[in-house]
Amino acid sequence: MDTLVLFTLNATWQIAALALMALGLALVFGLLRIMNMAHGEFVMLGAYAPVLAAQLGLPALAAVPICLMMVGLTAWLVERLVVRHLYARMFDSLLATWALSILMRKGAELVFGRQFRNVASPLDGVTQIGAIGYPSYRLAVIALVLAGGLGLWLWYRRSATGLRLKAMVDNPALAQAVGINTARLSAMAFVSGCLMAGLAGMLLAPTLSISPGMGLDALIRSFFALIVGGLGSLEGLALGASVIGGLQSGLSAAFTQTAGYLGVLSLAILFLWRYPDGLYRRR
Amino acid sequence: MKRLLITTALGLSLGVAGAAMADVRLGVLVPDSGPAGLFGPSARQAAQLAAEDINTAGGINGEPVELIFADVGLPPAQAVQSVQRLWRAEGVQGFVGMHDSAVRAAIVGQLRGQVPYVYTAVYEGGECAPGTYVTGETPAQQLAPVIPWLAEHEGATNWYLIGNDYNWPRDTNAAAQEIIAASGGSVVGEEYVPLGSSDFDASLGRIRASGADAVLVTLVGGDSVGFNVAYAAFGLDAQALRLGTLIEENTLAGIGAANANRLFASMGFFASIDSDTARAYTDRLTAQFGADAAQPNGMGQSVYDGLMLMAALGNAAGSLDSDAVAAVADGASFSSPRGMATLDGNHVAQTIYLADGSSGAFEVVTSFDAVPSGVTCD
Repeated sequence: MDTLVLFTLNATWQIAALALMALGLALVFGLLRIMNMAHGEFVMLGAYAPVLAAQLGLPALAAVPICLMMVGLTAWLVERLVVRHLYARMFDSLLATWALSILMRKGAELVFGRQFRNVASPLDGVTQIGAIGYPSYRLAVIALVLAGGLGLWLWYRRSATGLRLKAMVDNPALAQAVGINTARLSAMAFVSGCLMAGLAGMLLAPTLSISPGMGLDALIRSFFALIVGGLGSLEGLALGASVIGGLQSGLSAAFTQTAGYLGVLSLAILFLWRYPDGLYRRR
Repeated sequence: MKRLLITTALGLSLGVAGAAMADVRLGVLVPDSGPAGLFGPSARQAAQLAAEDINTAGGINGEPVELIFADVGLPPAQAVQSVQRLWRAEGVQGFVGMHDSAVRAAIVGQLRGQVPYVYTAVYEGGECAPGTYVTGETPAQQLAPVIPWLAEHEGATNWYLIGNDYNWPRDTNAAAQEIIAASGGSVVGEEYVPLGSSDFDASLGRIRASGADAVLVTLVGGDSVGFNVAYAAFGLDAQALRLGTLIEENTLAGIGAANANRLFASMGFFASIDSDTARAYTDRLTAQFGADAAQPNGMGQSVYDGLMLMAALGNAAGSLDSDAVAAVADGASFSSPRGMATLDGNHVAQTIYLADGSSGAFEVVTSFDAVPSGVTCD
């Protein structure tokens, strides 16, 4: 019984963390058809926000404005200088953002140094669930992801901006003709996606090993979730994160971590090969 | 007057350049890039201090040493190209290297004992190639005195072994199995995770269920950080202490004070060793490199030991000729911030420190002198 509770909690955590991490990537791809290979570096940048806050002797909450400013500014610059010119050129944008990811990683090595950093968890200790003590901070993040995901889903369905975004995705030319400023909307969408990545990094920072190279892992895991779930929708993201996170947790618990990775890799290859549209689109 | 000054300056610089040609050139192989790139700056600074100390003491057989650096944080095939260039084109007479074992195997194959080569990184033990000398800590050194000590003072008897899946953790755990059994403890679990793992939840569940009261961590770099952070988040630090054989100052900084309760590390060097030579070493780093001084740590500092051993060998043999060095190697000794070390066979017997990282900074709790490497070569 305890084992089952622990497994369920671990799987839920993996899924929530993965969905959080992959959200920005899904957003940018879904709305702009840009596979942002520098996604992981925006996660990394966000993870350094609480490090900086602690270094400056500021309270933990100061990490939020630092993260928004640091990531937002970088994303805005990147949109202006690089991404803006590559909308609707999927392969070119992939190469350009890959180069960008290397640049950002090396930039972080220069600015922050190569060494590992740590972020003290703002919510210490464990919460007893039956006989299981589970990290309180993880439970808080799970709740936040559920609430945030639901809110975002409702907003996208009901708000005017959501409608304009859908119009832009469906038919950019027509959207522009009816007076939607697609250039501005695209820029907003890109920056928002990067901000999501940054906030994910900031929220997950107390549970991760923080270094300039941490983005690659975030990108790869997010990418797998999107492949399986189907690119570019919140429903697909939730589904993909559940399958990937659940499979990895299950195989790791039942066998070894090696089995977990093998399972995830095999599934990702299978989907790329046989079902490139992912689970959600096929229904 | 002005002309005279210029001529003198010119003469001096030419003189220096002339002397440089006669210097003993030593190749220093450090990881500037790759996964161990973090240790590049501290390794280079250690080498510079060593060169100063060697030259102040009269160099090698009266000739000052000159260091030529090369980046070996690369795949072995590329790393040996740098070694080849230093050896053949730059006239390097001896190599000191701090890098992984795959690169070491490639370098040994390339040099074939024709040039003395000192390997300084913590490693799995067993290197017996002629002309190769090892200052790096072996599993036997890091564990044989420490596991019984932890049993006696911390009540650690039921060990869980977790490491990355490659030869260093596996060989370390093989040594650990014997030492734990000999000290009356038992191994309650052993597992290996792929390099680059970030999810340790399943392992942590198994550690809890095993009833372990001690965990031997042979995960490296970011994996070690991620594991230790999650370990503390689950409150496992109350159940079992942790002992790491490659948790140095940078890894501990990534883990953080909040997650380091009852985290021990066993190595030949910590920046906080309480001795005059160790304090002098870290003070010199700060004085010389100022804001650029890299965090001193056992991996980087090991290059200092390597160069000191090279100088001791060259002085004892009268040259760096590989046969002459081999003839005098056994028993050669040198001192470093770690203490005294003596070559026994081709490995050193050295002081091992056990440090407690609970406060977020290492505090040395005890040390063991002249610990043998456990490697015997025929």
